[in-house]
Amino acid sequence: MSNNKNEKVLEIKDVHAKIGNKEILKGLSLDLEPGKVHAIMGPNGAGKSTLSKTIVGHYDVEMSGGDIIYKGKSIKDWEPEERALEGIFLSFQHPVEIPGVNNAYFLRTAVNAKRKHEGKEELNAAEFLREMKKYLELLGMKSDMISRSLNEGFSGGEKKRNEILQMMMLEPDVIILDEIDSGLDIDALRAVSEGINRMKDGKRSFLVITHYSRILDYIEPDYIHVLKDGKVIKTAGPELVAQLEEHGYDAIEE
Amino acid sequence: MTLTINNLKKKSKDEIAQMLGLTDDLPPSKEAALERLAELGIPTKKSEEYRYFDVESLLDKSYEVHLHVPKEPKIGEKIVIENGVIIEVPKGMRVYYDQCDALDLTHYDPIYYLSHLLAPHVIKIDLDGDAEVELVHRYTHSGALLPYRIVLFNQENRHATVYETFETEEISESLILYGYDMHIAKDSTLRLIKTQSMDENRYAMISSNRIKVNDHANAIIKTFDLGGDHALQLLKVDLGTYSHIDAGHLLYLNHQAKRGTVSKINHIGEHSTSQQEAKNILDGNARGIFDALIKVEHSAKWTKAHQNSKAILLHEDAYMAAKPQLEIYIDELEASHGATTGQLDRKQIFYLQSRGISYVEARKMLVIAFANTLIETVKDTRHQERIQKAFEKAFYAGHKELKR
Ligand SMILES: Nc1ncnc2c1ncn2[C@@H]1O[C@H](COP(=O)(O)OP(=O)(O)O)[C@@H](O)[C@H]1O
Ligand SMILES: [Mg+2]
Repeated sequence: MSNNKNEKVLEIKDVHAKIGNKEILKGLSLDLEPGKVHAIMGPNGAGKSTLSKTIVGHYDVEMSGGDIIYKGKSIKDWEPEERALEGIFLSFQHPVEIPGVNNAYFLRTAVNAKRKHEGKEELNAAEFLREMKKYLELLGMKSDMISRSLNEGFSGGEKKRNEILQMMMLEPDVIILDEIDSGLDIDALRAVSEGINRMKDGKRSFLVITHYSRILDYIEPDYIHVLKDGKVIKTAGPELVAQLEEHGYDAIEE
Repeated sequence: MTLTINNLKKKSKDEIAQMLGLTDDLPPSKEAALERLAELGIPTKKSEEYRYFDVESLLDKSYEVHLHVPKEPKIGEKIVIENGVIIEVPKGMRVYYDQCDALDLTHYDPIYYLSHLLAPHVIKIDLDGDAEVELVHRYTHSGALLPYRIVLFNQENRHATVYETFETEEISESLILYGYDMHIAKDSTLRLIKTQSMDENRYAMISSNRIKVNDHANAIIKTFDLGGDHALQLLKVDLGTYSHIDAGHLLYLNHQAKRGTVSKINHIGEHSTSQQEAKNILDGNARGIFDALIKVEHSAKWTKAHQNSKAILLHEDAYMAAKPQLEIYIDELEASHGATTGQLDRKQIFYLQSRGISYVEARKMLVIAFANTLIETVKDTRHQERIQKAFEKAFYAGHKELKR
């Protein structure tokens, strides 16, 4: 842990963002520190998913003001794949199904794209499969995940585990988890949390988006940020969770 | 001799014969071809089967008619036909020049007859046993009109496969009139796997085919048409009793390409079945064609006919002309047909990009996922990989200047 208050891996500075003609983020600021778990909580429709989409450069979102600084560089004009290659990962609230694209082939392409970007040797099919099997086991996933099409016909839990599998294999530096806990039974929640906790290495940062505190029993947050009406209205330590549970979001004052 | 095919328009049988330099003592098959050509007339943009294809501008050019001079082929691994001349034949395989003695007198395509008239002879291929053969076509002349035809026979109770590909040197402005007369023997299977990658502005092709599927026989026709330029394959398929055709057509077109399939599948025998699937991926200014009629005759009770076309447009200027049609004269049958056109799913592209896969690569993965259901029907892994590579090559060529 560093005492340097200026040490930030991601700085979201007064971001205004629109979807269609509707302004969703209205001057949102937030800093992520390396090695820390930041939880974002807020009611449905507050703009939590929009924030995650803005960070990864989703086409739905038009940034109309502010800046996003990642490792000291403005990334607001970067392509989504550049952000990913540089180490930003989003676990989607609703991962899309892609029939006909084999899950293992997809993930190997992604892993090798990143390795190539980092100047590392690409993994051949056999090397990759060995790795993938290791993680499948760890996450309690069936081995047919290798041969199935990407997310096609996956249950809600399988989709979320598959997101975590990708996260683990891509080894990102900033990990955004959008409602990773929604629709998970207790076993899946445990497996997913275990995967996330394994990724904690003192350097990686996590942005855990949830409107429900359950996941925070498993992944201990360092900071809680409350997002309401397109802005972060409060930042505090983990003690805020209990307060939110008791009094709800409406009781929070800026 | 030079020839502008459009000059044969609205001419009588005798005039056509004279203009093509055909002497009086023609063999009966050529006489018949002449008669049919005069009857059908040279295709125009108003001809139904050519309505989506720029046939007039192709036929309006003057070409040097390139007539093949037979020479002794060498023994090799494949059948190689260069400019209509057999130059390589696998050992023991029966590939030879002959007269065409079994012309289809009810073909709908005038170019079928014209190519028969212009070709001095046909190339006969007798497939013995469970043959598996590669057939390579090669073109080396510019500004040429090259007419040649293949007559193909297989044997009863046998399962033969032909893998067909096309090569070219750096030629331009040639027109190839080509096609099969295919006679698929009783109780046999013939598989034809055709891959045709074309660059822009090398040659155009009208390939006019007749496929006779005899009783209890199977025709498996898979065509992979990739790249640019102008080419139309016209199929006429006649199905006997308990016969079956499984036709699959993959189109990946870019640039200014206009290519595709015009087909008429005639169910003549009882219990005949047909399945035809077209998958079309169109980029740039390309136009894809799938103009396909399935006709079920009175005699063809208890048939099954299924036909489907799906297209993905990768560019706003791309266009798919899909016209699946059923013409049915009985009601004891099972039939379906349909056509859809759409775009790649942005959400899917984004998902792949968000994992570090580039925009072009993401599109390629999705396009291949779409195409793969057809490519994977080629069971032989070596040929499957070859087709996949050809596909990727055409895809990347079309994406060189891709802007998002
Ligand atoms: N694609 C979209 N088109 C139109 N409105 C959207 C779209 N996505 C989100 N919104 C709107 O933006 C607001 C914030 O949504 P979202 O960021 O998904 O909230 P949260 O994740 O906090 O529940 C909501 O009012 C929602 O209706
Ligand atoms: Mg959300």
